[in-house]
Amino acid sequence: MRKHLFAAAALCASAVMAHADALDDVMAAGVMKVGTETAFAPFDFIDAGTHTGLNMDVFTEIGKDMGVEIEWITLDWTGVLPGLEAGRFDVVAGPATITAERMKRYRFSSPIAEATVALLACAKCDIETPEDIAGKAIGGATGTAQLAQLQEFAATLDTPPTSISEYVSFNESYADIASGRIEAVANSLPNIAFVASQRPEVFKVVKPAFGTPTYFGYPGRIEPEYASLMDKIDEILLAMKADGRMAELQEKWFGTTFDMPDYITEPNI
Amino acid sequence: MSFDFAVILAKLPQILSGLGVTILIWIAGTLAAAVLGFVIATLRRFGGRPVDVLLQLPIEVLRGTPFLVQIFLLYFGGPYIGLRLDPWVAGLLGISIYGAAYYAEIFRAGYQSVPPGHVEAAECVGLTRNQIITAILLPEMALLVMPPSINMAVILLKETALLSLITVPEMTMTVQAIGSQQYAFVEALVILALVYWALVELANWLGRLAERNLSKLSA
Amino acid sequence: MTWKLFSLLLEASLMTIFVSTVSILLGLVMAIILSGLRMSGNRVAYAGAGVFISFFRGVPLLVQLLLIFNLLPVIGITLPSLATAIIGLSLCTAAYQAENLRGGFEGVAPGLIESAEMAGFTKVQSFIWIRTPIALRVTFPALVNEAILILKASSLVSVVGLIELTKMAQNLSASTYQPLPIFASAGLIYLAINLVVAWIGRRAENALPGLPSR
Repeated sequence: MRKHLFAAAALCASAVMAHADALDDVMAAGVMKVGTETAFAPFDFIDAGTHTGLNMDVFTEIGKDMGVEIEWITLDWTGVLPGLEAGRFDVVAGPATITAERMKRYRFSSPIAEATVALLACAKCDIETPEDIAGKAIGGATGTAQLAQLQEFAATLDTPPTSISEYVSFNESYADIASGRIEAVANSLPNIAFVASQRPEVFKVVKPAFGTPTYFGYPGRIEPEYASLMDKIDEILLAMKADGRMAELQEKWFGTTFDMPDYITEPNI
Repeated sequence: MSFDFAVILAKLPQILSGLGVTILIWIAGTLAAAVLGFVIATLRRFGGRPVDVLLQLPIEVLRGTPFLVQIFLLYFGGPYIGLRLDPWVAGLLGISIYGAAYYAEIFRAGYQSVPPGHVEAAECVGLTRNQIITAILLPEMALLVMPPSINMAVILLKETALLSLITVPEMTMTVQAIGSQQYAFVEALVILALVYWALVELANWLGRLAERNLSKLSA
Repeated sequence: MTWKLFSLLLEASLMTIFVSTVSILLGLVMAIILSGLRMSGNRVAYAGAGVFISFFRGVPLLVQLLLIFNLLPVIGITLPSLATAIIGLSLCTAAYQAENLRGGFEGVAPGLIESAEMAGFTKVQSFIWIRTPIALRVTFPALVNEAILILKASSLVSVVGLIELTKMAQNLSASTYQPLPIFASAGLIYLAINLVVAWIGRRAENALPGLPSR
């Protein structure tokens, strides 16, 4: 019985905490906790031992504008969204492709980059246009929006690819292009452009992008008490877009800038 | 936070197929590992000192490095030296070789536990080496090697979860993928915990059964 | 593979060594307590220890870690990454070590315990001062083995946000796209650590007093 009372009390406590306002909490603590993974270049990665990337720069700006410290919590991607739901951090850097399905579960920030899907192929492979994957072994990362688009695109070809392997993360799929088992991987343009720029002797980007236009946003909690915090983040992101800071950061990390809508209300996928 | 197992269990066919893959690779891999380990231990026991020393090196390397690193190098590194294995083959081979290193040590301890006098006596009465192994050494060490063998089988079961890294659709990845598609993260973990726990208890039960029968035989 | 990358791996291996060492020692203490509970003659303690051991040996460490990390906050307990990693690893190794110790405790000659009790030792005293040291001495090689297994298993704690050797290797290969030399180097570092542990184990084994004869 005592055990039950304790559990009930604990649930009550967490319910009470959940009714507080997330922005007030962050401002009062002076710290915003941001969850992310560190194997998602050029958004978040470890360069010569230091956590760096676009997210780092963007959240530094957000922290400055809000007047709070940014505390990073880095997990494997599998643990990031569960961690957000368990209340371990206030927002996720990631980012994630904004999809209709995910918008039912998370509140996305204003888009921070284009996420449109294209192919990364091995440099010496005979793949010049997306349609060239017909009859070849290709791959993607399991459970990603990018893989879903690849499968859809492959279904439209007269000759389908011989196989579409599913990897735990994109990094293993890149390793398998290098090993020669597959010839191409579908992922968002900013990511694969970075891969190809790091090792041009192994990888190349196949243009044009075959996917429908999609965007990356930072996922946060959808509950009403988090609305104030997400609104604040949006406000700062929009200001950064207006005053050119965002374009500067995109140029720095992607070598190009993207035209992005201020808000995504009806994603294409 | 409420728990909803129904959204995961709706994907039962996928879960069962993942479970099938896990069980298949586990059993085939463990059997192959045990046989290979026995062969290695036997070579070390009867092959003379050079063979003994030569085989010790790969065993130390295999036991001293994580399976994750081994399977990664085998699958993604193999093609650079002309060894392009399919995911299934690489997975099975990886588990078998990793396990063999441990089973070789288990059987080595088993060989050492048999008093030399027993072997000498068998030699005196004219038994061949094969007869000595099958009629004297194996039965005498059976009871001793059983518990660590089961223990090792349990460890190998858990290592099979890493094969998702090389695109083998085993259970851990299958269930976790369903969990994240349905946003039922914790439920997926609970299901995984229960299924693995059941498999481990099954292995332990079979082990105890075998031990009991063996001790009856030797009594 | 540059020296810079290799030194980052070496640095991360300090975390591997740290969490493993702390967990093995905590696990050892827990394993001794579990063994005591199993031999206490109390039915509930016996069953409780049995379920504990069965659960933590049966459920994969990865799943245990993620459950501690994501389920406990639901009831209001939010542990930081390092604590989660150490608790998860210790509970897991405690269960395995308790199984290893079982054989050692069973091997303690009954005569020794009887004479201890005749000399005025209570049950608990004879457990702590007679049976435990002998069981530890007998099962010392198994402890060294377990240490090596935990060093390798600690690669899983990255799921709760700790950057140890394997995670560093993954991070570095995700920014350089040269996974093979990086993973091979990580493998070599693990091997070196484990060979040192095995060597210390053999030295310690020789230095320890001999086993009591039956």
